[in-house]
Order: sequence, then C-alpha cells, then structure tokens
Amino acid sequence: MAGGLPRRIIKETQRLMAEPVPGIKAVPDEGNARYFHVIVEGPAESPFEGGTFKLELFLPEEYPMSAPKVRFMTKIYHPNIDKLGRICLDILKDKWSPALQIRTVLLSIQALLSAPNPDDPLENDVAEQWKVNEAQAIATAKQWTKMYATRG
Amino acid sequence: MEERKIKKMDDNEMEECDMGSDEDYYNDPDPDVTHTDNDKDPESFEYKILEVVEVEMLLNTSVETMCKTIDVSPSLAKLLLHNYSWNTQKIEAEYRQNPEQLLINGKIKPSKIAKGVSRKNECIVCAQEVDTLLGVECRHRFCETCWCQHFEVQILNGVSTAIGCMGTDCTVLMPEDFVLSILRCRNQSKLSQQYQELTFRSYVSNHPELLYCPGPNCTAVIQAKAKEAKRVDCKKCKTTFCFKCGIDYHAPADCDTIKKWLIKCADDSETANYISAHTKDCPKCQVCIEKDGGCNHMKCKKCGHDFCWMCLGDWSAHGSEYYECSKYKENPNIANESEHAQAREALKKYLFYFERWANHDNSLRKEKDKMKEIAKQIEEKVTTKDGTWIDWQYLNKAGELLRRCRYTLQYTYPYAYYMLKGARKELFEYQQAQLESAVEALSYDIERAVLDSRGDIENKMDVVEKRRLTLVREFLVT
Repeated sequence: MAGGLPRRIIKETQRLMAEPVPGIKAVPDEGNARYFHVIVEGPAESPFEGGTFKLELFLPEEYPMSAPKVRFMTKIYHPNIDKLGRICLDILKDKWSPALQIRTVLLSIQALLSAPNPDDPLENDVAEQWKVNEAQAIATAKQWTKMYATRG
Repeated sequence: MEERKIKKMDDNEMEECDMGSDEDYYNDPDPDVTHTDNDKDPESFEYKILEVVEVEMLLNTSVETMCKTIDVSPSLAKLLLHNYSWNTQKIEAEYRQNPEQLLINGKIKPSKIAKGVSRKNECIVCAQEVDTLLGVECRHRFCETCWCQHFEVQILNGVSTAIGCMGTDCTVLMPEDFVLSILRCRNQSKLSQQYQELTFRSYVSNHPELLYCPGPNCTAVIQAKAKEAKRVDCKKCKTTFCFKCGIDYHAPADCDTIKKWLIKCADDSETANYISAHTKDCPKCQVCIEKDGGCNHMKCKKCGHDFCWMCLGDWSAHGSEYYECSKYKENPNIANESEHAQAREALKKYLFYFERWANHDNSLRKEKDKMKEIAKQIEEKVTTKDGTWIDWQYLNKAGELLRRCRYTLQYTYPYAYYMLKGARKELFEYQQAQLESAVEALSYDIERAVLDSRGDIENKMDVVEKRRLTLVREFLVT
C-alpha cells in the first residue's frame, strides 16, 4: 500500500467530481488526497431542509479494507450524531465492505438525515427527546439547522 | 436427580450390594469404584486435560465424520461445525431436512446469489484489471492482492473464523483453505501462522466440550462431556476453576451468583476494605493486632485474652455447639425504618458477608505458606528423631483438606448473601457454622500437632470433610 495513491482512490475521486451525487459535494484537500471536504445539503421534507452541513471524510491507510472515517463539522440535532459530530451508521462500522465506496457512504449519511433512528442512538438525550416528544425534537432540529447550518 | 440417587445409595448401601448380580457387575461399563467415588463426592467431575495436538486430533475427527456424512471439503466442514458449535447431530438433522438451507445457515452459501458484478476482469475493490479474479460460493470475485489485504486487516484485528466475503451485504464466511492459500501465494507466513492460532482458539471457545485453562499463559485445554459448573484442577498450572464459566471454582454458589457477587465486590470492596481494614483491636486491652494466618481463635500476646477474630467475642462462648459468629442475625424491624437506616443495614449485611469471604480468601493465601511450614516442621521432627517421615504425612493431608474446606467455606458466603430468609437459609447457615467450627478446630490442632495427636487430627479431618460434603450435597445446584 506504500507509494502513490491507490488507483481505486483516484478513480473514485474522479467519478465524484465528474458525476457528483445530487445534494452532496466532496472535494479532496489540496495537500492530502485522502482527506475530503464534504458538504451535504439537508434533504427535502426533513428537519434539516435548507441547511448545508460540513463534514470531513478521511480514507485511512487500509482503505478500502477499512471504512472511511467521517465526521460532521457543523453542529446538528440528530439522535445518531453526537456532540463531536461522530456518526452512528452500521456501514461505517461492522457492516463495512471493501466493495462499498465514498459515494455509497455519503448517500447513506444523507438517508440518515431523512430518517433519524432513535432506537439506535449515539446521543441519548436527543434520542430520548425524539421518542418522547417527536414534534418538539423536530422543532429543535429545525431551529439548530437555522442557527448553525444556514449560510450568511 | 443425582443428589437423590446418592442419598438413596447411602441409606441402602448394604441392600444395593446384595442386589447387584455378577452379571450386572461385569456388564456395567463403569466399574464399582467410580460409583463409590461418586457417592463420596458430589463435586466429582470427569474431565481430561489435553495438549494442543490432542485437541487438533479431536477436532479433526469431527471434521472427518462431517466430510463423510455431507460430502463437503474438510475446510467447509470445519466452518460448518464451527457455526453450529460443533453439534454434529444438529447438522445431520438439518442436512436430512434441507441440505441447501443448512449451507446457507452455516454461512457457506449466500442467501441470494450475486449477479455477475464485475465488468470483464476488473477487481471492484482496487479498480485494477487483473488476469484472474478469485472467490468462493457467493460468486463475489476480487483479485488476490485485495483478498490478501482484506485478510491482513481482519487478522490483525483478531478476526479469524468470522472473516467475511468482501461483497456488500454478503453473509458468506471465508473457509480456512481459501484464506491460507491466498496468504501462501503472497508469502505471508507470519500472518498465516497468526491466523491458524486465532482460528484454533476460536474453534475451542465455540466447542461445547472444550475450555481453555484460564491460568495465566497456560495452554492446556480441558475436555468434558458438558459445560457443567464443576470443579477442574489444571495439572499444568495448578489453577482451579469452574468448567462452565471459567472463573474460580465456586461451589456451593452457582455461576450467576458468583458473577453478581464479584461485580458487587469490585464496586464495593474498596469501601469495605477501608471500613474493616487489616487490623483489629484486642477487645480487652485494645492493643492493635494483625492476623497473619492460622485459625480464628486468638490469644492476645499482651493480656492473654482468648477471643474470636471474627466477632471479637469471648472464645469460651464459641467452643461448644456451633460457631455462633458465622450467622448473620438480620434485624426484623428493618422494613419499618428509614431509607437511610435501610441503606446502612444493607451495607452492614454486605460487609458481614464480605468480611467473612475476604477473611477466608486471606487465610487461603496464607495457607500456601502454611503448607511449606508444615513440610519444614515435618523435616525438623524427622531429623530430631521425633517419628519417621511416614508418621507425619497425615499433616500434609490435613493441610490440603483444610485448604479445600476453607475454599468451599469462602464461597458459602456469597451464596448465603443472595439467599432469601427462611428455613432453607437457616439450615444453610447452620451447616455453614458447623463447617466453620470444624475447620477452626482442625486448624488449631494442626498448628499444635505432636506425635500422638495423629488419631485426634485424623478424626477431625473425617468430621470436617463429612460436614463439607453434607453442605455441598444439599445445596450445590447442578
């Protein structure tokens, strides 16, 4: 794995730039081709609609045998994302398969924004609120989206 | 079941002997000797201590049988056996019912066959064109380099038998021969060895008849017919443990009780240690005393007062019927008192049992030095012509017995702690007290043994072991 950038990463990067996933922008860092600056738009009809969320994505040395490391940089009120922006998503952990790609990971994260899963929480307080009073939780999520994820 | 059988045998021993005909005697696969041994010891358990080679032979026998019954390669048979916890009967039954489903459940075949994923000869993991793509039953194909890297990452993470296919959502696990052949092609001999060690460990831990000896750095594997909560003594490293849960042997308490108790002790013992400390004051002259072994009958060096180390009461009150201080007298008014008082009462109750548990634990640790001391004592006596070596051997036996009894006694306290109040607990604590007093009497005598005390000590040894067995027989849950 030593030496230049693996062909797999080059190909994936090229494809991400040429045919980007709708609502997602992923650009490699100028100084580090394994580090991506990601921007995910809040999906329509979700509490995150209208927000733009910054994420960082890093491909470890073992990639694709190990999953990429992804983290939200923008504050977000979501039961599966904690204060530090870490994400609870099966394909980033035990369900990772080397046949998955950066593209599929980002799509899954987008889907997670559309469908929060309070039964598998990372942030317990948020998940509790989501279960006990969903309307209130959605209102808070909308408020946070406005406060932290809206440009200008 | 066994308990009842044993009792019956005791009562009708003579009758049983008369009734057994010669034919029975010769046809019985177990010789009479084992029967009597079983009667004597409810803790007896048949097990073997195996070396790695012997375990490999044992596993291979199952693999061979499996290969014959359901026409698969040895490597797939191993995977199947592992995923079915080496239950050959279950595999055979499922095979007769639905062979296809068996291979799916055994993670050899996929639940749904993959479509022709790859374009030409491109490996989708590294995005390179290669001459050959490799794979197993599920038809997910990747290049040798990628497979090898995948295996490397998994093995270095300690995964062995659970290494899966690289395909997305694929349930198939990688058989041993596939992994090894790839590692061999890539000259990964060190990794290959590591993989084989890991799979072997994994097979053993999934096998219902096998258990690794929990002793530090011990490689022995114990084999017994079933995972029962029975006592195993590893001959290699001298560790004593329970065959079911693998932690220290714990009769009469069961595995769950002892687990609960140890967790509780880990949480609370610091406080308990702080409260009970390591020393006590003489109840008469208040001199500070540290107990460094021996029995609970203390004689203050300063004032000569005889007292009990556990309850600090006068020793003269302890000698007769039973050893009063092993009984915890619960306060009957506890329910009516405040929450604070209840919490204090609960702590008091816990400390009562914990102190006795820790006291035996401590005595047991000292007992090792004690055995050495006994050996030295014997040597001295023999050199000064005070009896022969043979004359004194009973002291060694007595020391060993004392250790065993203290061990059982130690584990009676967690058992009693979790027992509900009632007649059964009373009976338990009565028998416990009986054993305590017999053990203390024996311990006292061993320390002061002279040549003509042999008869007396042997008598006490008999009493002590009988009491231990009575308790274990009555309360050991199997």
